[in-house]
Amino acid sequence: MTDPTPHDDALAQRIRSGDREALGVLYDRYASLALAAALRVVADREVAEDLVHDAFVAVWRKIDKFDPERGSLRSWLLTVVRNRAIDRVRGSRQTIEVGEADAQSLLRSGPNPTWEAAVQRLEVADLRGAIEALPGEQRQAIELAYFAGHTYREIATITGVPQGTANGRLRLALNKLRDTLASSTAAPLGAPEPLPVRETDR
Amino acid sequence: MSGPMGTLDHAAVDELGAAFALGALEPDELRAVIEHLESCPEPHAELRSFLGASDVLAASLEPVAPSTGLRDRLMGTIATTPQERTRAATPVASVAAPAREQRRGGLLDWFPPNLARGLAVAAVVVAVAFGIWNVSLQGQVSQRDQALRAVAQAIASGQTAFRVSGTGGSGYVIADKNGTASFVGANLAPLKANQIYELWLIGSDNKPVAVGTLAPSDAVAVVPLERGITGFAVFAVTAESHRVDAPTSQPVMTANLGS
Repeated sequence: MTDPTPHDDALAQRIRSGDREALGVLYDRYASLALAAALRVVADREVAEDLVHDAFVAVWRKIDKFDPERGSLRSWLLTVVRNRAIDRVRGSRQTIEVGEADAQSLLRSGPNPTWEAAVQRLEVADLRGAIEALPGEQRQAIELAYFAGHTYREIATITGVPQGTANGRLRLALNKLRDTLASSTAAPLGAPEPLPVRETDR
Repeated sequence: MSGPMGTLDHAAVDELGAAFALGALEPDELRAVIEHLESCPEPHAELRSFLGASDVLAASLEPVAPSTGLRDRLMGTIATTPQERTRAATPVASVAAPAREQRRGGLLDWFPPNLARGLAVAAVVVAVAFGIWNVSLQGQVSQRDQALRAVAQAIASGQTAFRVSGTGGSGYVIADKNGTASFVGANLAPLKANQIYELWLIGSDNKPVAVGTLAPSDAVAVVPLERGITGFAVFAVTAESHRVDAPTSQPVMTANLGS
């Protein structure tokens, strides 16, 4: 019997096995979010839908490269969508392509807990509220970087500040946003009571 | 920060961490950061803390329903689109530029160098200590043998293995002299649907620090820990519904790290 609400990792396994219905489930789950992300960058619905279509096709073709221990399928899909959207509007801009795996996986074996918890536990309005609570110049830097696809050097030019300042604003913004979200998602959880079993083999 | 990028030091990479996480680096900077991270043993904690931020930004958008025909169009496309089959086992990642990829080869080269050593060492320990091989890897014996030969001397020169055991399975934490470590698990107990194993390091303050996750699907799991074990007294594994900041259940496996 087919699970009516399969976890993304289970969907990835089914897609990897060639199950087209599973890709349809993935589409039903994330197409609207993917379209929002694409539309925010390209500002053209027809182009955005083409990008979403192509991103899902890329997921279908390259699912063998997806590693669930390096991040979620959702995150992978949205990265593909955004990179393709930025490539579309920037032309020569080079982004990390899906086939080249995930550069972020150099440093992580899973999503950062704070960001992941925020995505899972907070509503859209809460997330947007946390972003809007950032100081104006930091919020502007974030939006120019992520939603408009500009590099920090370009942001410096656009906003008329030194490159170091533009880069610093991104750094301050993410630090502040992370701290805000961490306090929003904090929940009292019990610490483990480890059962020490020392057995040093060397 | 202008001009062509050469090599970057730790401080420079950390400074660019937010831009890296947001995809806001110029191509030359992106390559330079990746080059550095591939070979750097340092944790780059701040940069790591930014990874995943883009997921939040994407999730802050109000969803937009696609046109009704888009799904049918997609399903029609994939019906005639073959899937790419690149290798039997899923690698961690390769993010090198094409020229770099051409001069790399073999199993170890699928991994960043700082991880490759630990992974390969761990693989040896699995083979020796558990006497088993992951069936899915048997087709890559030659590559694995090549990897194992490359690290055998490293094992002999002094890696430390801490036995991990409990109701959830058994394994080892393998650490080098710098504290860089990997968890190698075997015979892991099945979990409930949608659960994962989460890995923790616990210091003298008894505050668990999340250092990775793994799915229980593999016969042999090899997970590089996100932090070195230096200064931590206990390694623990819990079962969670998703990655969390603090454990929500009692450990199913533990090891005393002797710190």
